[in-house]
Amino acid sequence: MIRRLSPPLIVFAILVYLFLLGPLVIVIGAALSDTTYLTFPPQGLSLRWFEKIFEMSAFRRTIVTSLQIAFASTTLALLIGIPAAYALNRYRIVLPSWLSTLFVLPVLVPEIVLGFSLLRSVQVGAGVPVLIALLLGHTLIVLPYCVRVISASLASFDFSIEEAAISLGSPPAKTFFTIVLPNVRSGVIAAFILAFITSINDVSVSLFLTGPGISTLPIQILAHVEQFFDPVVASVSVLLMLLTVAVMVVVERTLGLTFLAK
Amino acid sequence: MLKRFAGWTLSGPATFLVVLCLVLPVTATIAATFGSAKGPWALYQAFFESGFRQRVLWRTLEIALITTVVSVVIGFFTAYVVSRAPPRWRSVLIILAVFPLLTGVVVRSFAWLIVLGRNGIANNFFVWLGLEGAPYPMLYTQGSVIIAMIYLFVPLMVLTLVGVLENIPDDVIEAAASLGATQSAIFRQIIFPLAVPGLIVGAVLVFTGSFTSYATPQLLGGDRQMTMGTLLHQRAMVAFDWDGAATVAAIMVVVTLAIVLAMTRIARRLNPMAT
Amino acid sequence: MTATAPLSLANLTAHYGATKVLDDLSLEVGAGELVSLLGASGCGKTTTLRLIAGFLAPTRGSIRLGDTDLTALPAHKRNIGLVFQNYALFPHLSVLDNVAFGLKQRGIATSEREARARRMLDRVGLSALADRLPGALSGGQRQRVALARALVIEPPLLMFDEPLSNLDAKLRIDMRVEIRQLQRANGTTSVFVTHDQEEAFSISDRVAIMDAGRIRQLDTPEVLYQRPANAFVARFVGFENLIDLRVTARDGARVTAEGAGGATVTLDQDQLGAIPDRFVLATRPDGLRVATGETGLPCTLGLRTYLGRAYHYQAETPVGPVTASGPLSQPLEPGGTAWLAPDPEQCCILPPEPA
Repeated sequence: MIRRLSPPLIVFAILVYLFLLGPLVIVIGAALSDTTYLTFPPQGLSLRWFEKIFEMSAFRRTIVTSLQIAFASTTLALLIGIPAAYALNRYRIVLPSWLSTLFVLPVLVPEIVLGFSLLRSVQVGAGVPVLIALLLGHTLIVLPYCVRVISASLASFDFSIEEAAISLGSPPAKTFFTIVLPNVRSGVIAAFILAFITSINDVSVSLFLTGPGISTLPIQILAHVEQFFDPVVASVSVLLMLLTVAVMVVVERTLGLTFLAK
Repeated sequence: MLKRFAGWTLSGPATFLVVLCLVLPVTATIAATFGSAKGPWALYQAFFESGFRQRVLWRTLEIALITTVVSVVIGFFTAYVVSRAPPRWRSVLIILAVFPLLTGVVVRSFAWLIVLGRNGIANNFFVWLGLEGAPYPMLYTQGSVIIAMIYLFVPLMVLTLVGVLENIPDDVIEAAASLGATQSAIFRQIIFPLAVPGLIVGAVLVFTGSFTSYATPQLLGGDRQMTMGTLLHQRAMVAFDWDGAATVAAIMVVVTLAIVLAMTRIARRLNPMAT
Repeated sequence: MTATAPLSLANLTAHYGATKVLDDLSLEVGAGELVSLLGASGCGKTTTLRLIAGFLAPTRGSIRLGDTDLTALPAHKRNIGLVFQNYALFPHLSVLDNVAFGLKQRGIATSEREARARRMLDRVGLSALADRLPGALSGGQRQRVALARALVIEPPLLMFDEPLSNLDAKLRIDMRVEIRQLQRANGTTSVFVTHDQEEAFSISDRVAIMDAGRIRQLDTPEVLYQRPANAFVARFVGFENLIDLRVTARDGARVTAEGAGGATVTLDQDQLGAIPDRFVLATRPDGLRVATGETGLPCTLGLRTYLGRAYHYQAETPVGPVTASGPLSQPLEPGGTAWLAPDPEQCCILPPEPA
C-alpha cells in the first residue's frame, strides 16, 4: 500500500505531539531552576530541589509508603487475580457470566466514589487500620488490570497443552506452574507493570484512605502544591517520570516495545 | 460438579474482595442517600435546591462534554496519522503517547500549573510580547481545567483509536482504491465509518474519566471551579457532611452509568458490523 | 459490452527494501485472454498483481493497458477490477452499496448506480441479499459480491488474487466455472493469481509458471502439462523423475542413451521429438513402468503404495532413486529386482541442466 498523508495532517499531528510533550519538558526545566518559585525557562541550573526532596521527611515517607503499597497491592492482586483469570477461562461454562463483569467493576465505578465508600464502610465502619484500608483499596483498583490482561493471555493459550502434560503424568497443580504460567508470562509481566503504575499514580482512592502520618506520594504532592509554589514538586514529578521511563525500558526488555502499542 | 467447585475456589478470593470492599460499600453509600429522616428523596431535593451544587453539576457536565468532543477530534486525526506513518515512526509516536499516559495524573496536571501560572511560560511569553494587561490570571478558570483535561485524555484517545484504525484491513482500503476511491473518499466512506465504534468507546472513557476526576480540577480549578469530584471531597473531608457527599457520589454513579448505557446503545445502533 | 484491452508488462523489476522480488519480468496478456500466474508463495505472483493494481511501484519497467501507460498512475485511477483473497468487502456497507461503491466514485447518480448494481447482483444470483451486510453472508456469497463489485465498473482488466483459496473444495470448483463463464461472456482481459495448479490449468487460456521473481514458462495448460520447457516446470507439473542421459548410439529414430552407473535406455525420437546428445529424461511415476522382462533400467524395488488405479514403487536405480508404477494385477514385493521401461506418453525430453 502506498501510504500518503496530506501535509496539513502531518503538521496537525506534530502540533498535537508538541502539546503532549511540551508541558512535561517544562516540568523538567522548572525542576532544574535555581529559583525558589516555579518558573520556566529555568533561571540558573541547580539540582538542589532534588536534594530537597530527600531532606523533607514528608516526601521521604510518602515515597516509601507509595512504593510499599504499590508492591503489596500488585502482588496481592496477582495472587488472587491469576487464579480468577484462570478459572474464568478454564471453567467458563460452569461459572456465571456476571463473574467476569464483577472483576471489571472497580474501573466502572467512579474511583472517587469507591474511595469515599471505602472510607465510610471499611475504614470508619469496620475500623480497619489506615494502612490495611489503603492496601485493600489499591488492590481493588489494580485487580481489573490483572484479571483482564492475564485473561487475554489465557484466551490465546491452548488448554490442550495443559491436558497433554496431565496425560503425561504431571499433577494439575504442578502443571499450572510448569506449563500454564510460563506460557502467560508476558501477560503476568504486563499486568504487574500496569497495576504497579496505576497504584503509584492513584489519587482518587488514596485521597480518602490516607490518614495522619500515612499518606501516598500523589496526595503529598497535592497537599504541598496547595501551600507552596516551589520547584520541589517539579523535582518529584521528574522522579516519577524517570520511574515511567524505567518501566518502559523494562517493558521493552521483557516484552518488546510493540507490546506498548496494544 | 468438581469443575464448578474448582472454578469457584479459584475465583473465590477475588470475588470475595470485590464483593466485600466494593459492591457492599458502594451499595451502602447509595443506600445512605435514601435514609434521611426527612424522607427518601430529601437529600436529592437539598442537592437540587442548592443553586451552588446545581451549578457544580452543570459545570462538571460541561467540562466533561467539551473535553470529550475536543479529545475525540484531536485524537482521531492524530491516530490516523500515527496509524499510517512509516513503521519506525509509528512505534516512536506510540511510545511518545504512552509516556504521558503512564505518567500520573498529578504530574500532568501540575505541569499546567507551571505553564499557566503567573510566572508560567505562557505569561512570560505574553509579557515578552508586551501584551496589555499581561500577566493574565489564567489559573482557576474553567478554561484551565478543560485544557488540562484534554491534555490528560488525548493520549488515551490516540492509543485507543490507533488500535481501531489498524484493525481496518489493508485490503479493504486497497479494494476501495481499486474501485476508484480517492484518498479523501477512502477516509470519509471507509475509514471514518469503520472507526465510529472505537470513537464511541473512547468518548465514553473520556467522558466518564473527566466527569469523575479529582486531581485536575483540584489543582487547576481550585475552590472557584468546583466539580463533582472536588465537591465530593470537600463535603466528605472538609465539611464532614457525609450524607451530602454520599448524594454527590450517588449522582456521579447514576450519570456515569447512564452515559455508559446510552453510549453503548448508540454504539450498537451505529456499529456498521452489527447484523 | 465491456471495454477490453491487452495488458503489457515490460521488464518489471521490484524490490521490498533491499530484496529483489521481481526480476525483469515481461508478460503480454491479449485482449479478452485469461492468464494465470502460478507458483509457490514468494515466487512474485502477488507482487506482480500488486504492481499492476498500483499498490506497489516497480523499481524499473512499465505497465501498459491498451493505449494507457499505467506505470505512474495512482491505484484509484487505474480502472482495474480486483477480486481479493479475503474478499475485502466493506463491512459497514450493504451488499448493494458494496457493489455500487465503484460507481459512486465515478459520480454516477444514485438511481442509476443502484439499478446497475442490482443488475450485476442478479447476474451473480444474489439479488435477494442486496440489503444484507457482508457479515451475514457465507464465504461463497461474499466471493460473488466481490466479483460483482469488481465487474460492475466494467473494467478493461480484471485481476483475481487467490480468490478461491478460502472456499471449500466443492464450492471452489463451482466458483471457478462461474468466474470463467462471466469472464468469457464479458470478454474482459484477466489475470488470475493462484498456487493451485489444477485451478490455474482449468480456468486459463495460458498459464505463467513463476519462480524467484521470474516467469519460468508461459504457455497453454496443454503444452505446460505435456511439454515442460525446463526442469523447474517439469517438476512443478509432476514429472518427478529427472534422469541425466547421454546418447551412445543412434539408429534412425531409435536412440540409445546411457546414464550414471552404465544403465542404458532406448528411446524413440518419433514419439519424443528430437533428442540432443546430452539431455534429461523427465517422467511422471506413471511414465516409468515396472516390468520383469529384463529390458530397460534395472532397479531394486522399495516401498509399494496403493493408489487405486495402480501401485507406485520407490525404486533404487543406478541413476538414483525414482518413483515408478506397476499394474494392480501384479503386485511386486519390496526388495525384489525389476526393470523400468519409460512410457513415451508420460515422458519428455529436457535440455541438460547447467552444472
